[in-house]
Amino acid sequence: MARIIHIFIVVSLVLLVAILSMALSMGGFGFAMPPSDVRTLARIFLNTTFNLDDKYRYISAMSPEAVTAIVWDYRGLDTLFETSVMFIAIVGALAISRGAGEKLLKTSVSKQGMSLITKTITRITIVMILAVAASIALHGHLTPGGGFQGGATIAVVPMLLIVVFSLYLFSKMMTVYKAVTLRSIGLIGIALSTFIVLIIALLYGSSAYVFQNQPKIYSQYGLPSYIEPIVLGGTLLLFNTFEAFAVAFGFVALFILFTFPEDVMKNIIIGDE
Amino acid sequence: MILYYLLMALTSLLSIPAVYLAIIERDLIKAVIFSAVQSTLYAFLYYLLMAPDIFLTYIPVGVGLYTALILILIKKTERYEGE
Repeated sequence: MARIIHIFIVVSLVLLVAILSMALSMGGFGFAMPPSDVRTLARIFLNTTFNLDDKYRYISAMSPEAVTAIVWDYRGLDTLFETSVMFIAIVGALAISRGAGEKLLKTSVSKQGMSLITKTITRITIVMILAVAASIALHGHLTPGGGFQGGATIAVVPMLLIVVFSLYLFSKMMTVYKAVTLRSIGLIGIALSTFIVLIIALLYGSSAYVFQNQPKIYSQYGLPSYIEPIVLGGTLLLFNTFEAFAVAFGFVALFILFTFPEDVMKNIIIGDE
Repeated sequence: MILYYLLMALTSLLSIPAVYLAIIERDLIKAVIFSAVQSTLYAFLYYLLMAPDIFLTYIPVGVGLYTALILILIKKTERYEGE
């Protein structure tokens, strides 16, 4: 039986390699795999991503990074619902293990975690990871990266802290309750950034679109795209910052719940009765 | 340009043995490490395919978070895969 499975795995891997390389090399025979008129679509996006020209000024997202502009400006509502999907997933995890945070602090142990060498190296690398994550998230409108990428990079830090310094020490610094509160603050920030241009326009006695970033023809309001010489990207900077915040603390809450000691967790799920 | 294609071919071909070893390995911790190797190679592949955004997501998720999560799961269950 095991032999058949081995043969099956090898055959499927060889087929994968053959079919993928055939698909990629088809272009040489005239069957371009993405049809060549996709290029015109790419040209439209590149023309409207950052364009100071008068013709494009009112349809441009005014952010040099095309991917971030598409994620938070062209299809901002999509990304909002993606964020809410992850929020609902975390709500589910919290609902299963409610009341877990308080129980852990009562059973605190003094000495835990890995050796001193590992702890010292982790202390050094955590600073580096946080610096890289901040540059990914806050530079999201200029260089590749953005809120989710930055937040996922930050989320490596609590993972390392829990594994190296033990959950008991980590839970003194951060509890599930605190992480969820900070995550909710990030989500409120995203919601406010959605309406910020509308709020500004209403203060001036006018009207604007929801999810508006730059001035459009029918509503001349928008956040500044750049203050010389810094490119700000309008609402994109706000979205990226809050998204990184929300994703990072969402992962923190999940990791605390995942790394719970099994016996404590079982008692919580069964309940006191 | 040809160098890009050669590097792409090399990373893709190197990822195939990693996938194979990750599937057949009975020690699940070793399987997770092979899977992390495969993730690293895929991340480079995304970078070579000019998708740096995916590359930046793939590195922390594929190598850091996913590996750690599966290791926690193995710690809570069993290390060796039964017949």
